[in-house]
Amino acid sequence: MPDQHIDLNDIQGNIVKAYGRFGYPKARYIFFQFHDVEAGRNFIRDLLPLITTGRPWCKDQPPSATTNIAFTYQGLKHLGLPTKTLHSFPEEFSMGMKARADILGDDGESSPTEWDPIWHHDKYIHMFMSINAKSLEALEERYKKIQDLLKKSSGLVTQLRGHRDGQRDDLPYQEASAIFVDGKPTPTEHFGYQDGISDPYFKGSGGNPLNVVGGGKPTRGDPATLQGWEPLETGEFILGYPDETKELPIAPVPTLLSFNGTFMVYRKLHEKVKTFHDYINNVGKDFPGGPEAVAAKMAGRWRNGAPLVLFPTREEANAFAQEYEKARELAATSAKGKKRYEELRLKRTGFNFGNDLAGSRCPMGAHIRRANPRGCLEFGIKDAFATPGALDNRRRILRRGLPYGEVTNPLSDDGEHGVIFMAIGTSIERQFEFVQQQWINYGNDFKLSNQKDPLLGNHDGKDMFMIEGGSPDNPPFFCPEIPRFVTTRGGEYFFVPGLTAIRMIADNLIDPT
Amino acid sequence: MANLISEPTPLTVLSPIKNGDDGSQTFASLTRKYLQSLDIHEKSPMAKVPNTFLCRFFVLNDVFFEGSPGKVDHLKSKYLVFCCNFHGDLNTYLREFWQNAQQEAQKIWRHCVAFEQVHDAESFIDYIKKCELNTTIYFNGSTGLPLDEQLKALYLKQEFSQFACEKQGLSAEALFEAFQEFVERTRPADLTGPTWKPGQNTL
Repeated sequence: MPDQHIDLNDIQGNIVKAYGRFGYPKARYIFFQFHDVEAGRNFIRDLLPLITTGRPWCKDQPPSATTNIAFTYQGLKHLGLPTKTLHSFPEEFSMGMKARADILGDDGESSPTEWDPIWHHDKYIHMFMSINAKSLEALEERYKKIQDLLKKSSGLVTQLRGHRDGQRDDLPYQEASAIFVDGKPTPTEHFGYQDGISDPYFKGSGGNPLNVVGGGKPTRGDPATLQGWEPLETGEFILGYPDETKELPIAPVPTLLSFNGTFMVYRKLHEKVKTFHDYINNVGKDFPGGPEAVAAKMAGRWRNGAPLVLFPTREEANAFAQEYEKARELAATSAKGKKRYEELRLKRTGFNFGNDLAGSRCPMGAHIRRANPRGCLEFGIKDAFATPGALDNRRRILRRGLPYGEVTNPLSDDGEHGVIFMAIGTSIERQFEFVQQQWINYGNDFKLSNQKDPLLGNHDGKDMFMIEGGSPDNPPFFCPEIPRFVTTRGGEYFFVPGLTAIRMIADNLIDPT
Repeated sequence: MANLISEPTPLTVLSPIKNGDDGSQTFASLTRKYLQSLDIHEKSPMAKVPNTFLCRFFVLNDVFFEGSPGKVDHLKSKYLVFCCNFHGDLNTYLREFWQNAQQEAQKIWRHCVAFEQVHDAESFIDYIKKCELNTTIYFNGSTGLPLDEQLKALYLKQEFSQFACEKQGLSAEALFEAFQEFVERTRPADLTGPTWKPGQNTL
């Protein structure tokens, strides 16, 4: 489908732009409740001019701050959407994240009872808002504008409190920010991994065409080149367009409500940095390559972002990372620098696991191999499927979000620091929930029985993680008794309507008949 | 175009909307937004257009995608679709459309390709005819008589039902007297009033 058939002016900007990577390292996530239908409609009508669309920024001066909104099922109900429309939403969305805890593996310390207070009440959160900004000043300025609009509702729309920051548990918003080093934002999270390197690339997204490498769906071509990949179908990520089955995705009615919209998962994930470092240090005593190699094997990438498949040794990875950083700085100043940077970028994304079927470089159970199998689920059987990505093209998710909090004491798991993780796709159940249940918290699809993702799995201290090795001088290694490194602190499922749909909700024009 | 005596005349018009945007919204989105802001029934701008039985405007985004293994086709642009049934011939109808609702027509069609060339009733007629599609099957909810006759008939039916209900059981003399009053009040032969308003759809 040619790009011109996607109206990026009508699609919310956070769907097609990972703001953090576009120079918006500061973010604030705010949640609202409507106490009156008309007041709710008026509030979102007032917000409309502030909402950032997917319109390419090369056409305009980028804004200093962005704003996007999304609604829960309860929110749509409180905005007066017709019953027929409400009933046309998928079940997982109307149930909400807490009711899906068993599927998501949110148990023990990740149970909803342990989440931040804002998530404790049922039918409570109606609307999500994200503000991303180039600076803290721009963030505050946009936030103040929102507060002014909120005041107009005379208390009939309220901003919900109940986020924790380590000191308090009643904060009115969730703050998030890239981690700054020497005054500059970095793409790392609190465990030290570079994050968000490969994001799905789909038709009409308006992104850099080179992002198809590693971001698209695999062909049988060379994965290091553009021939190895094709853009995913738009309908995997935006409602109203054909998806990978060549059908229109199931969507709520009327069509104009769902057209150019999608679904979003919001999760606050706490990272236990002491547990993580203790573990890689302890296991690293016995593992060749030490703690850094253990960390790399768990993720499938070295912490500097270099993929294990292409850079099996730490020395190679470090040399590449240095060259990559240098090229990234030069890219802004010369055409030659830019060309080199783009070549090197492909080395972070242009690979699959076809030459590493036994997992001797990147373990079968490593995080990136689970979350995005890159067509490796044929397990080397020639033409097992009509297309190599037959089992994973429909399980892709757009990842958004930023780290939150600071690690003030690396010798403690306490405090508030982690990642605000957002997953975007046209089916929460088929994409996010499947990946979470089957690929993060289970291992059968990778021939790993019930092993879990070493980094994100809901471990109970009894799980193990196998590093396959594969030769006499590279024997298998078992990482034992993995503790839970990441716990859930809150989250919900949201519907992200297009701009026309938001206006129609505000104007009470949603009519499914 | 079907045009048989005593049937309403149907009209289907597809006007291509310009591709592109005004800096933030596409012309198709702007057109839809304007259409959705229009009043309906008696307050509809189309109530001012003589002899309109029923009409509908909408924006057609694209051809419907029917799924694999169909060939994926796309329209080259989005279309403003105008469907209506009216009494009389097309030229007269469109001329009176322009004469009675020129400003509304200019707002509705303003983002359509080449509509800037429309500046009077004759060029409006030419434009609509260029965008006209042959209509062979349509919803026929009317007799095809002139609108004022139909509105008067609906009014009389409503009033006479009320009269019959209220006056049942009266003596012949009293009923005759009441009926004379009824005729004087409702003036059955007078199409100018009292009657329903154009656009009115309920009692």
